[in-house]
Amino acid sequence: MNVNCDDRDRIFEDGTPAEWVALEAHAENCANCAAQLRAWRSLSLAAAELRDYSDSPTLWPSIRRSLAAQMAERQRARWSWRSLLPGPSLSWQTVTAAAFVVLLLASAGWLLRPPAKSPLQSAGLLKNKALADVESAESAYVKAIDKLATEAKPQLENSETPLMANYREKLLLLDSAIDDIRAQTGQNPSNAHLRYALLAMYQEKQRTLEEIVEEKR
Amino acid sequence: MGMMGLALGWETRILPVAQRERRVALFREQVAAVDPAANAARAEDLALATACQAGDLQAYERLYALHGARMKNLARNILGSSTDAEDAVQETFLKVQRSVGSFRGQSSFVTWTFRILVNTCYDARRSRLRKKEVAVNDEREDAAPRPEPRAASAHPSLRLALDRALTKLTRHQRDVFLLYEVEGFRHAEISEMLAITEAASKNTLFQAKKNLRHMLEPPRHSDAAGAR
Repeated sequence: MNVNCDDRDRIFEDGTPAEWVALEAHAENCANCAAQLRAWRSLSLAAAELRDYSDSPTLWPSIRRSLAAQMAERQRARWSWRSLLPGPSLSWQTVTAAAFVVLLLASAGWLLRPPAKSPLQSAGLLKNKALADVESAESAYVKAIDKLATEAKPQLENSETPLMANYREKLLLLDSAIDDIRAQTGQNPSNAHLRYALLAMYQEKQRTLEEIVEEKR
Repeated sequence: MGMMGLALGWETRILPVAQRERRVALFREQVAAVDPAANAARAEDLALATACQAGDLQAYERLYALHGARMKNLARNILGSSTDAEDAVQETFLKVQRSVGSFRGQSSFVTWTFRILVNTCYDARRSRLRKKEVAVNDEREDAAPRPEPRAASAHPSLRLALDRALTKLTRHQRDVFLLYEVEGFRHAEISEMLAITEAASKNTLFQAKKNLRHMLEPPRHSDAAGAR
């Protein structure tokens, strides 16, 4: 392979190993390229001067303490959420959303009990009145989640951290999945399995929003 | 040019080293693609992520043992202070713990961690700048802190000159130079950390080195600069 002085910068930027070998061969007969090549490599060697991997004996113990404290704090917060008791760290939106989850689950459980008088009706299908109940509870639940989303919005929009970027991406995916399932329930509104799937998506969205709100604190 | 006063003739001083230690990093990408060690590293990376997701503190200790020194060094080069660097590393570990549940393996766990570190460092710098209410020129995003004295090295003058020259680069040029030349990451990894393409990473490194050369080379070489 033949290279000349004009190829030098391109090879410096993104040369293949073969091109580097060719440039070295060219540099043996070109004083300018030899000097440039030497200087270019010297920068890489000079960068070694910026390496200082000396030990910091107090750093890990300090990090470990912080990690343990944060883990304990998160476990406490999670437990208090699961207990559904309004603790000082829970907002009213969270409590409301939790109440609607319970309501929705209760409605779905009642609706999915084994059919007594209607053997023709599939266990996976909802009756008209039950359907109205589920849709009403679902609507209220969605409103509660929307309130939570409003609270999380400033944090989501104003922060450029990778964590928030991940949350934004996750919420987009969840919203997309929710839209899909809602479209399916629109075609088959009595299908309880679809309702359960929708509920699971809403719960995940709620959990995600709660995490974002907690990040803000 | 401000750096001319610090011109060191460093090219010639470290020439013997350059001759001894041929740069092998040029071939890192190609070698990594077929290196069985790379597969082992990926497996370890995945195991580390899984253990951290499970809340295993020993996994975090392993992460620190493997990469803590490099994390602190990178943070110090960005922030210019060991104390601030240690704070940034600690904050990074806390952020990793908070958000590891959302890590889906889109990149390697380590590059994901370094991405958080880089962002944490720049958050810290912005916060510090706000607190100090420094002059308008120093409030630029790219304004770098004055480097603090560090441990003795083989070429202290060179390091000082390089430290100062780095502050003149743009943020991206500085990041890519530090990640590639100092910390030894590959362009593929840097592209994941900085959310840029590999080509952009290579081009940014090229521009960074070109600028550094321009700032560091002795005055007698400035005439020949046009030849590049």
